[in-house]
Amino acid sequence: MASNTAIKVSNLTHTVTSNTGDLTILKGINMQIQESESVAIVGSSGSGKSTLLGLLAGLDVNTSGDIQLYDQIFSKQTEEERALARGQYVGFVFQSFHLLPSLQAIENVMLPAELKGDKDARKKAEVLLEKVGLSHRLTHYPNQLSGGEQQRVAIARAFASNPKILFADEPTGNLDEENGNLVIKLLFDLNQSQGTTLVMVTHDNDLAKMCDRQLVMSAGQLTEKAL
Amino acid sequence: MSFTFRLMLRDLRSGDLLTLLLALVISVGTVTSIGLFIDRLQLSFEQESANLLAADRLVRSDDAIPMNWKEEATAQSLQYAERTSFTTMMFANNALQLSQLSAVSDAYPLKGAYLVDDELFGTGYGLAETPKPGKVWVSSRLASLLNIKLGDQVEVGDATLVVSKYLVRDPGSSTSAFAISPRAVMNMADLAATNVIIPGSRVRYSLLLAGERSNLDDYEQWIVPQLKEGERWRTPTQQGDRIGDTIGRAESFLLLAGTLAVIMSGVAMALASSRFVKRHLMQVAILKTLGATPKLLGRVFFQQLFALFVVGAGIGLGVGWAIQELIASLLSGLMSTALPEPSVGRLWLGAATGLISMLVFCFPLMAHLIKISPLSVLQPNAKIELNTFVIYLIGFVGMYGLMCIYTKGFLLPSIMTAAIAGIALLVAAIGWVAFKLGRSLTSGATSGWQIGLASLYRRLVPNLFQLLVFTLIIMLTLILVGVKSSLIADWQQQLPEDAPNHYLFNVQANQIGPINEKTEQLGVAKSDWYPMVRGRVTIANDVTIESMYPDGRGEPELYDRELNLTWSDTLGKGNELVEGDFTAEGLSVEQRAAKEAGLKMGDILTINIGGNLVTLPITSIRTVDWGSMQPNFYLILPKSALEDYPANFVSSVFVSPEEAQPFYQVMAEFPTVSILNVGDVLKQVQTIIGQLSKAIQLVLFCILSAGALVLLASVRSTLEERLEEGALLRVLGARAALVRQALLVEFGALGFFAGLIAAIGAETCLYGLQVFVFNAEASFHPLLWLLGPLIGVLVIATIGIFASRTVLKVPPMLLLRDL
Repeated sequence: MASNTAIKVSNLTHTVTSNTGDLTILKGINMQIQESESVAIVGSSGSGKSTLLGLLAGLDVNTSGDIQLYDQIFSKQTEEERALARGQYVGFVFQSFHLLPSLQAIENVMLPAELKGDKDARKKAEVLLEKVGLSHRLTHYPNQLSGGEQQRVAIARAFASNPKILFADEPTGNLDEENGNLVIKLLFDLNQSQGTTLVMVTHDNDLAKMCDRQLVMSAGQLTEKAL
Repeated sequence: MSFTFRLMLRDLRSGDLLTLLLALVISVGTVTSIGLFIDRLQLSFEQESANLLAADRLVRSDDAIPMNWKEEATAQSLQYAERTSFTTMMFANNALQLSQLSAVSDAYPLKGAYLVDDELFGTGYGLAETPKPGKVWVSSRLASLLNIKLGDQVEVGDATLVVSKYLVRDPGSSTSAFAISPRAVMNMADLAATNVIIPGSRVRYSLLLAGERSNLDDYEQWIVPQLKEGERWRTPTQQGDRIGDTIGRAESFLLLAGTLAVIMSGVAMALASSRFVKRHLMQVAILKTLGATPKLLGRVFFQQLFALFVVGAGIGLGVGWAIQELIASLLSGLMSTALPEPSVGRLWLGAATGLISMLVFCFPLMAHLIKISPLSVLQPNAKIELNTFVIYLIGFVGMYGLMCIYTKGFLLPSIMTAAIAGIALLVAAIGWVAFKLGRSLTSGATSGWQIGLASLYRRLVPNLFQLLVFTLIIMLTLILVGVKSSLIADWQQQLPEDAPNHYLFNVQANQIGPINEKTEQLGVAKSDWYPMVRGRVTIANDVTIESMYPDGRGEPELYDRELNLTWSDTLGKGNELVEGDFTAEGLSVEQRAAKEAGLKMGDILTINIGGNLVTLPITSIRTVDWGSMQPNFYLILPKSALEDYPANFVSSVFVSPEEAQPFYQVMAEFPTVSILNVGDVLKQVQTIIGQLSKAIQLVLFCILSAGALVLLASVRSTLEERLEEGALLRVLGARAALVRQALLVEFGALGFFAGLIAAIGAETCLYGLQVFVFNAEASFHPLLWLLGPLIGVLVIATIGIFASRTVLKVPPMLLLRDL
């Protein structure tokens, strides 16, 4: 793989077992994402966007085919190895924020660095929270923050481990327009300033248009949308 | 500070770990406090009984005590003393009297003290020493029979001894019933000089031992296998049936209480663990997305649990220790003697309970937690399935194991486990039918009834589980209350304050009038007089007893010795007719003795009375309350069968401490009458029963408090869903009263059914416990059937409403954001 390829997917198929029998969600997907690229995955509800995102990030194991993140081939790894790879390469921003309710904003942001055993976790977290404009909210708990603030904390957390790739699942899905715009701006600014690859699942066409590329998910197949 | 502990501190702040810690503290604390307290009570009983035995343990032999027994005692760091008892003639002032003489070594008694007096018929003072060589202590009766006083000389065989005290009570002989000869005690050093013990003499040699329990146990292990015929090992609890019985039952109760505490602890741990895991599922998934490996998470949780165990068990042990100290100090005002100190060595029980509870309830859930897929973060609504069957199974087996360790047996744990399994089935069946019925009878959401009943069915599985927890806790409470009440009532009924404490034997017919007159003057209460003739059953239904039991082994009590026979026209006090006609011309047999000998109505017994054979059919069977302390008889014959034989009469009297001295003085006028004082034993039993009753009530209180905490924990564990629903209802415009009513209906119904099923379970368990564990008669407990549902509705609804009060007060917006 060329040094500037961040993600390479070949012949990816994924089948899940449900009450009504086996259901193939992803059917023979091939794609590549280059380093520092921003890519939007769009498509209707239930088309398999989030499943693809989960597999790309190594949160689940695909049924067949290969997913390669830099030098990591997820399908050949144990959960232990995939977790290490996530810690090393990947950052996440979720639709429902997923901050740990028992931790303060600063502690949530410190987590990825702490997991790596970084001694400067607190200082780095303070800097990141300042970047997202929340230096006055360090010791607030998630339930004391608004939705927009929670998502900004989540973005700060996502960048805390200096990820090479940032996965975002409907990052503005639970936010109003004003907060949504603020979050998007932050996401792209940080993406550019840190040279991160951005892979985003979204319903929002405007947001998708801001990305370098758009991939359309439909009935388990992925096609490139012409810009 | 490591990541584990930083995470742990943050978890502590949020309260999740705190719930788990609290459950562990309750678990360890309850078991520790009850375990230690039971231990102290047991030690105390042992000490009190040891006073009656004059030692912690005793070996009795018909031959002189071998030297190696004493050497082994020394080797095991045990103290020992010797007592040699025999019946011999004593001479003084040309009078002679058969007496029961003990020669004791200087260390005697190892426990308790002699009661002696310097005045004839005095009530005595304690003296923890033995007669000096050359001296003898004689009972007041012996002194009056021989007409001697302090300072006089008596001859025992070839030796002459000087009377230095009047003996009131010998600490080691108070229960050797029917040793009717008057007593005396001398120093062992003078024994050889008497020359009264010759080969073939009937002598009882005793080696008395005292020391640490473990050393005594080692000694027992060493000596019991080598005991021959005529040699017996005795412990205080074997001392006399009454004390043994009473303590045995109390120990069974306390053990039961402890076992129930173990179950409650288990339930508390299971609830707290499952709450912890539920609340951490998403956290673990998020941590995994952030790069936490299963190995790291495993290590983090293991370290957290370990730290939690160390802290929780530490606090639990401390709290447990403090609680049992508190119980003991509350009891100290009520008890006649101070409780012995608790042994630190017993603390392991509480720690082990905590550890095993964590292993069986926490670890399997944690193992599951670590396996959760990180994908859950993208599918927040996807159900996270726990393999609950395996987890319950592990918990169930663990709990059974814990109970087995705790009770050192399988019977009680098996009864309890079977009961819990049965209850689980019953809960599933009744709950399912009732909740479904409730749902089908209501639809809509216009009243609290409809909403409450609907949510019972909607959350069927969690509600059934909660119903099971409620049922278990209420059932355990009912069982304890039931056992406690029947035990205490049974004891108090057994031993009224004025139970007779002396027997009068060997009374001739012409002495009855004068004795009646004297006792009436003194105001001493006395039972009826019973004529007594000695006889032995020799043939039962044409088969001789000798051919039935050639070696005497396994012989029922009715056949193994000469019995006291009596006649009477009326059933005595404490006797109840079970079958037949008491006035018929035949034998009336005591029920237990008849059962043991396999006898029934119409069977024919031949009794040898002074060489004459009397053959009669059994015409009635009766029960006897042996605790009544009235003269009681296995066999009562018709008057016609006995009236021609010379009879002695027997009666029992109650002599209060103030009446004792005048009573003994009066009875000295009847030197041939034998008096047996059982008052000391009775008093001991009464003291023990009094202490036990109070102790049991306190233990019960402790368990109930722990039970209430577990109930609260259980309600809290399902609170979030209820709060969410309540908040939604309020957002939709429901008045607080409607929400309250719905909660009341839901918790009230859960409480009612829990109480009802608990009553069924408790009644069944009580039957099993009464019959198999306490060896008592089974009885029906109507109160439980009222108490169960009542406690259920009141307590559960109160706790439920109390725990959910936030939903009624806090603005719904805040609640929804918190959830």
